[in-house]
Amino acid sequence: MQICEVMDRDLTALSPDTTLSEAIEVLTRHRVSGIPVVDPSGRVLGFVSEKDIVKAALPGYFDYLQDPSFIPDYGQFQKRLKKIGQDPISKVMAKDVVSFSEEDSDFYVAITLIRNHLKRAPVVRDGILVGVVNRADLLERIMMEEEPPSFA
Amino acid sequence: MIVTVTLNPAIDEEYLVPEFRPGGWFRASKVQRTPGGKGINVSLVLKQLGLETAAMGFLAGFSGEYIRDVLRKAQITTNFLHVRGETRTNVYIVDEVGKVETGLAEPGPYISEDEIARFISNYERILKRTSLVVLGGSLPPGIPQDFYCELIRIARQRDIPTFIDAAGAPLLAALDEGPTYAKVDQRFMGSYEGVTLNSLDNLIEAVTRVHALGVEWVIASYRTYGNVFFTPEGIFLAEFDRKGIVSMFGSGESLVAGLILSGKEGMDTKERILFGMAAALENALHVEKGVRNRVAVEKLIPRISFEKLS
Repeated sequence: MQICEVMDRDLTALSPDTTLSEAIEVLTRHRVSGIPVVDPSGRVLGFVSEKDIVKAALPGYFDYLQDPSFIPDYGQFQKRLKKIGQDPISKVMAKDVVSFSEEDSDFYVAITLIRNHLKRAPVVRDGILVGVVNRADLLERIMMEEEPPSFA
Repeated sequence: MIVTVTLNPAIDEEYLVPEFRPGGWFRASKVQRTPGGKGINVSLVLKQLGLETAAMGFLAGFSGEYIRDVLRKAQITTNFLHVRGETRTNVYIVDEVGKVETGLAEPGPYISEDEIARFISNYERILKRTSLVVLGGSLPPGIPQDFYCELIRIARQRDIPTFIDAAGAPLLAALDEGPTYAKVDQRFMGSYEGVTLNSLDNLIEAVTRVHALGVEWVIASYRTYGNVFFTPEGIFLAEFDRKGIVSMFGSGESLVAGLILSGKEGMDTKERILFGMAAALENALHVEKGVRNRVAVEKLIPRISFEKLS
């Protein structure tokens, strides 16, 4: 099955100069974990996810902590998040984007998503955004499909 | 790609009631819940006829999620801006015996200036790969009355034709900007520039005036089952009889979709009008909004009467 049969043909995207606070608003309103970043013609430049934003707002020493429970509260996180709220998303977005074309097989997409620890990824035609593929939608589709014939 | 803009989408709830009258308490014999708003309806019909479109506009709350979900399952490309509040619900009650329809519409969620600006940037982005823009329906609170003007202007700067299907002040403002196609619904607009849209002569006068503003095609509803078409080839009247008609709900949008598809396929003016009217008739033959398929539409072409008025 080609991925164009499963993908969400939604073109919701942000421009690189969108602020982080606006990106957070769009993520929550659209109830998604990540959104493609595109240029004025719809060409995919990056992908911003809630994970990227969380990472940007965490204190620098976070990586050195063995356990996040060493952090007493999210005061510092909040302070940093508000501080970077007006920064453009181009600062935190993933620039090396894993994207798919409509003809890619569902199996190839599933494997690539798993390999790259991704939940969502853009689908492009000649570099232009035409949809988004979600891990959960793929799972649902695989679950609903008839089992392939066994050769055992 | 064809882009449809629905600034104020709705969930259309259609209740079939055997004998409806105000003040009573009734049980509906059938309820139908579908995503609505003129642009969305056009997208759904074009999909049924086999043409891809992208739908955009504003959605809000649970109703907005429902609409997005249905469009997504229909594999229609979407680019809606999700805003605060709740997308409206429009209620239609179809009296099965008296064949009378009663409608009730909500105003819709408030759209802020920021959200309008974001919409415009999405619109400009999608226009880069658009061949026709369909603008339809009412405006939600917060959107200026001349907003369609701006959308038509932006499309025209890029040589993209526009089709507007609206009513009242937003339509009047849009006409000044000279959209390529305009559909004027007599139900929602009693008069145009003082000309009452009732008799055929008055309708011809009104569509001629609209045409003078630079609108190539003007479509105005005439009586219940007819339309007057002002086209570059002349003025035509097309009608169908009421045999088998269940609900005209959504027929206007099926007409728009039929005209668009036939235009894209290069049919001549008469064929376009016949195909569009057949799509409207097919839509009216069942409670379900939209058309069954292209073959069903084509079968109805012989039922359309066609007359050249001038």
